[in-house]
Amino acid sequence: MPTPDRTAAVHATTVLERRELASGVICLSLDAPLLADATRPGQYVMAIPPSAQTAATALAVYEAEGKRASLLFFVTGKRTQELAELRCGDRLDVVGPLGNGFQCKINVRDVAIVAGGVGIASVLLCAHALIRDGARVRLFYGARTAALLVDTQRFADAGCDLILTTDDGSAGERGFVTDALERARKPEAIYACGPTPMLRTVARIATEYGIHAQLALEETFGCGIGGCWGCVVSVIGDSAQAPSFPPAVRGGSDVVYARICREGPVFRADELRW
Amino acid sequence: MVNVRPSLATKLGQLQLPYPTLMGSGCYGTGEEFAPFADLRKIGAIVLKSVTRLPRLGNPMPRIVHTPAGMLNAIGLQNPGLEWYLERELPKYAQRPCKLIGSVAGFSVDDYAYVTERLAARSELAAIELNISCPNVASEGETFGCDPGLTASVVRAARSTTDKTLIVKLSPNVTDICAVAREAEAAGADALAVINTVRGMAVDVEAWRPRLANVSGGLSGPAIRPIAVLAVYEVAQAVKIPIVGQGGIETVTDALEFFLAGASAISIGTANFTDPRIPERIVAELETYLARRGCAGIEAIVGKANLGFATPHQYEGDEG
Repeated sequence: MPTPDRTAAVHATTVLERRELASGVICLSLDAPLLADATRPGQYVMAIPPSAQTAATALAVYEAEGKRASLLFFVTGKRTQELAELRCGDRLDVVGPLGNGFQCKINVRDVAIVAGGVGIASVLLCAHALIRDGARVRLFYGARTAALLVDTQRFADAGCDLILTTDDGSAGERGFVTDALERARKPEAIYACGPTPMLRTVARIATEYGIHAQLALEETFGCGIGGCWGCVVSVIGDSAQAPSFPPAVRGGSDVVYARICREGPVFRADELRW
Repeated sequence: MVNVRPSLATKLGQLQLPYPTLMGSGCYGTGEEFAPFADLRKIGAIVLKSVTRLPRLGNPMPRIVHTPAGMLNAIGLQNPGLEWYLERELPKYAQRPCKLIGSVAGFSVDDYAYVTERLAARSELAAIELNISCPNVASEGETFGCDPGLTASVVRAARSTTDKTLIVKLSPNVTDICAVAREAEAAGADALAVINTVRGMAVDVEAWRPRLANVSGGLSGPAIRPIAVLAVYEVAQAVKIPIVGQGGIETVTDALEFFLAGASAISIGTANFTDPRIPERIVAELETYLARRGCAGIEAIVGKANLGFATPHQYEGDEG
């Protein structure tokens, strides 16, 4: 995994475009050339609430090109509601890019990207990087219902083969996205972002296949930059991502808690002990 | 009006600070995490995360829940333990451009004394805060801060090990915070940090379970600010040692409330999670405020809102 970026900064940006991709699914494009330039696939920002009335919100950087960096998010509460109300020309300050991001140069040809729900926001840049590097990418993308499968054309245009699933069968295959992954041809590597149960299943499948998998974890953050230890996950003690901490023995191996925001959010599936 | 730039310098025991702003323990990491986004030269001191004698993994996840006007946390004093900390962590902090305050947590009087002695002996640390009020460790942590007698024992024991400035962090989860404050002062505390988080809980109504793995947590943020301001106001009248006011400070106005209520310094915690530029902004605006009010320094406003306690209007002849 790449080490955390030292070019992170507070960026004062302006909203260039606001797209509502589905009811409650917002994509804000920001005028943020330095952020766009510094961001690697899988990184995120902490969006500072314009009202200053709530904690900052962690949002994946969905697109980063030229002067434009986009944030894609679902409206799930007060904090994301406030961001959803921003309009073109409004100011938004963001801290980032943060986190380690995906390691996309791994020299494999057949890659599966697995995205669940808002996890799609973390994988577009990843798909671009892998395809640019010569990989064939299948995107396994699951959502509750057809309307929440957003921006699929973007991924098709990028060159991904799409395998869509919905919980209610309103589009693609009915069922979990991980069921579709298991039914499909075995990939050489998996990149995934989505809810924790989905990621656990992806990790199990990767283990069974004996293949490399990188998982971008979703969690409620406190500070989002490593200062509060509010978001942790167990990793093996000799992981390159293990923070300086005396390991504890659990389930027969040495584990330490790593901060999802700081040492992650992307972890190798075989190094997690969750 | 004074024409010189007002001074923001303040003093806690022997600890001289260029700015009256501390970064709350457990809210600012080691400072390194925030350094890309904040000028550490413009803050008074960082109170580091609490250290215990032995390593602690901390609580399971979830550890954070965002709530109206604040958040609940239950980290559970995750730390690598004293020996690891002294050997591998503290040396990394030596080059910070601001002062560092070590924070001590424990489960016995002896723990507090031992960890205080070992930390205070280190040149990287300018002062020690005794965290006798962590609400998130099963049964013991907060016990010390909730009992005036135990508070006295812990402070006395820690005091006997060092001459460095000793700040005692008080819990709001008590009936009479002044009783605890007086005991801490009598036992040798140089300053009091008022307040730690307020105990709270949130419930997931779909899963039918508490939202924090630890069940209860500590509430911070603006939701607790009025509780904290009153605690500072009351404690300021109960003791003579300086107070570090804290609890939901986000703006210069919030900070001023604490100074006027009786705090000689303030501590910023959860607001750093909203915007890491807040501490620097508060310092700049404090300076502007003092200049506008013709004050030469921050000490000119400490406790200036103190009117004692109001007497209720009464009907004639009503003794109650």
